[in-house]
This record gives sequence, C-alpha cells and structure tokens, in this order.
Amino acid sequence: MPTLPEYSLAGKVAVLYTAGGDEAPVLAQALAESGAAVFTIARRQELLEPVLAGLKQYPGEHGGIAADVGSGSSTELGKAMDALGASYDHVDILVNDVRSMFAQPLSEISIEEWDQIQSRNVRAAFVLCKELGGRMRERQYGRIVNLVSLLAERGMVNGSAFAASQAAVLSLTRSLAVELGTSNIRVNALGTGWMTVEDIPLEVQQEELLVRYTPLRRKGHPRDIGPLLVYLASESCDYTTGQAVYVDGGLNAHP
Amino acid sequence: MLETFSLDGKVVLITGGGTGLGLAMVRALARAGANIALAGRRAAPIEGAAQEVVDLGREALVVTTDVTDSKQVDQLVTTTLDRFGHIDVLINNAGAVQENVRKPLWDITDDEWNLVMNVNLSGAFFCARAVSKPMSDRGKGKIINVASGFGMRAGRDIYMYCCSKGGMIQLTKVLSFNLARYGITANSIVPGFIPTTSTDSEIRSTLPRSGDFLPTGNLGTPEDLGPIAVFLASEASDYMTGEMIIADGGGLAAGITPTGHAPVVALEL
Repeated sequence: MPTLPEYSLAGKVAVLYTAGGDEAPVLAQALAESGAAVFTIARRQELLEPVLAGLKQYPGEHGGIAADVGSGSSTELGKAMDALGASYDHVDILVNDVRSMFAQPLSEISIEEWDQIQSRNVRAAFVLCKELGGRMRERQYGRIVNLVSLLAERGMVNGSAFAASQAAVLSLTRSLAVELGTSNIRVNALGTGWMTVEDIPLEVQQEELLVRYTPLRRKGHPRDIGPLLVYLASESCDYTTGQAVYVDGGLNAHP
Repeated sequence: MLETFSLDGKVVLITGGGTGLGLAMVRALARAGANIALAGRRAAPIEGAAQEVVDLGREALVVTTDVTDSKQVDQLVTTTLDRFGHIDVLINNAGAVQENVRKPLWDITDDEWNLVMNVNLSGAFFCARAVSKPMSDRGKGKIINVASGFGMRAGRDIYMYCCSKGGMIQLTKVLSFNLARYGITANSIVPGFIPTTSTDSEIRSTLPRSGDFLPTGNLGTPEDLGPIAVFLASEASDYMTGEMIIADGGGLAAGITPTGHAPVVALEL
C-alpha cells in the first residue's frame, strides 16, 4: 500500500515516560512499529513490565527502567538517565504519558494526594523536558509529545486535582514550544477523551452514559491515537508546535 | 502502523487544488494513493495538478467550479460520483486571499465583504452540504476544512478573511457534532503564514517576509501541510473529529510578547 515515507521513525530513539494508566504498551508499540527504538521510563515496575513484554515482537533495541522521576529525587532521575545512557547516545523523541487519573470530591482530596498527582504528572513532565530537552538542544533536533486529557481544557465534578495537572502540562507545552523553537525542537500535546484498552463490543459500550455522550459513540482505544503520536514525533511535523491536538471522538466540540 | 496512513484507492474531492497549499496537498494525497477530483474556478491550474496526479499513477477528474454558486457545487459532486462512484474525503481548500489587502474598515464595500465570505465560508458550507447525503448513505466520510491562524486571532485591517476562517473552524465543530451519527468526521487544518504565489503577489506588505517573528524562526512551506492532509484523510484519524491541527511555527502558542522577548524574574522571598 502506498504510504508517505515522511511518517517513518526509522533510526530514531524515543523515550516514553508513563505516569500510570494502561495505555503505554500500545503507545510504545506504535512508536516501535514505525521504526523507533523505545526506552520506557515507568513510574512503577508494574507499569514497565507490560510495555517491555509488548515490545518483544518488534525489532530494534528497546529497553526501560522503573523510576519515579517526578518524585523530585535526583537519585530516581539519575538512575533513569544512567540506564538510558548505557544503551543510547542521544534522544530524538520524548513522549510523556502523564495522565495518571484521579477523581475525588474537593473535600476528600488530601494535600498529599494533590502533591502526588502534580508530581507524577506535571513535575515528571517538567523534569524530563528539562533533562532531555537540554540534550536535544545540543543536537539541534527534537520532538516532544505530551499526552494529556481533555480535562486540560474542561472542568469536571471531582476532577479538580487531575484537571489542574493536565492544564499545567498543556501550558508547559506552549511555553517550551516557544522557548525551544529555534533549536529545531517541536513540543506538542496530544489530547484524549474517554479511553479503554479493552476491545468491548459497541453495543455493550453504548450501555454506558459516557459513551452515548461521545459524538462517535465509542470510547477511544490507544490504537486510535497511535498514528497521530507517530506524526507528531516525526520529522515531518516541522511547522506544528505549541499546540494540543485532540483525538477524543468529538467530545471537544460537544456543548 | 504506517499502513493506516495509506489512501490506496480512496476518492478525495478538493476545491482549489491547483495552486499553493492545495497543490502541495494534492501531491501528497496522490503519493499516498488517492484518486482525486479537482475543482477550481480556473481550468489551467487544476488541469496541471491533475496531470501530476495521473503521472503518479492515480486517477484524476477536473471540474471547473465556482464554489460560491451552490448549483455548480451540486453538479461538481454529481460529476465526481458519476466518475468514481463515491467520495471518501472532501477538502474545502478554495479560498479568497486577494481581498486580504490592507484597507481601512470604512472603505470596505458590501461586494468585497460578500465575495470573501461567499468563497471561503459559504463555498465550504455548500460543498459539505452536497457531500453529506452521499457520505451518510455509505455511513462513512471525512470532511477537512482548511482554515487559518487568522480564524483564531485578529489581523490588522483584515476583516473578511479573519471572520470567514473563524467561521470555518466553527463550521468544522458543528459538522462534526451533527454528522458523527452518520459516520462522518470533520476536522480543520489551520495553517499559519505560509508564503505561496498567491500571497506573494497579492498581499504584498501586510505579511512578513521571514520567519524571524515565529518561535521556530522559519516560515512554513506548502509541503508542511501534505502529511497533515493525508493523516486527516486516512483511517489513521478515524477517532478524531471536530478538531484542528495547527501548523503555524508556534505563533499561536506565543503572542503575549514580541518574539525574542525573554523576561527573567527572580523567585520572590
């Protein structure tokens, strides 16, 4: 089938950070299938294992480590960077999947929980953008994609702490795009709506109110966002920067 | 993964595909495998583009059309369906930029206002309306509207262009919301300033000559839009609707200070 070679990630080194959730394995596979070598930094060991298991079927040198880089501990970041440096001498692509979800009533959210959500989602994205963005700047090339929820733009009951973290990452995206633009580094956000990694039949999905509320009448699967992730991570994404592109089944246009 | 970006055998109808951004998109769409119906007011540019499509081994159809005339638009869609049997993708790309010449508000005539609104916004509406029924009968289709950064922000002495392009972004959202139930998606491509023959010759002093004002430091090229158009036309974007992809060198993400302004403020005690 004819395809544009511009989308290929062959020869590129991608770092994927996952703060939580269960979508990272599919996202890692999208990058690997498009030719990238993928090094995964997972906040917990349990998040890392399915990613590495899923990458076994793809050629290329893939790896990863569990490190809580958002914790603020320089040991955790140093551990991740050492492991990265042992296998790769540079990084072309950074993907931050910083959508570790949390929803509680305002009165129930402890300061510890608030700090934890901001750390794993926002501080981790900042720390990795700072560390790897600096390396990209030295090589005058880079692509950074931050995965955020549509709650970066909208409000939701019980969503305060999580939504604030998503808006912070979107804002980080805009400023870094402007600051790193002349270094040939592009920084964009990929926004998502209601997601599932399970292949649930449509008629079963549509028993759920949130699915009937979504204009395309189904939940998103990480497969739905893989191709856009690949485009935003590719060299051909050269004039788009500082933007959020949503793949959310039409939710963003919903009144 | 990469095969989801293929347009092998898909039928794309594009308005204004003979020059500038449209021509660059046509080339990318054809390279990705699409057969293309080209509509334009003037025959020569779309005939040239059609020849390039054929040279790439795809099929091309040329239909001279003034998109401000809904009867001609309906005929365009009928002719395309007669030739190809169906339409997978509509790209509303035809746009009037030549009215985008600096002029004080009090000197703008009714005709000048109407022309740009008719070409840019009404033309897109007529085309979307004409393809919507055949697409809904098949339960699938994609509409792509080419808007502009001027649809998001104001431009000095630029009235009709800003309003019509803002209207296209909103048209995209309304189409997406209402056509989702028929399996039709709608998305916008939002280019920032990208020099073309048209802007070079007509807009003259109103637009920048270099990318110095942009966060990326470089102006875009029409070729930047090719992979975006192919993505939005392909099944790789099936779950995306009502959205836009902005290609503007970072201009819209910035804008609160002049480019290059980098304040440094120490942390307060």
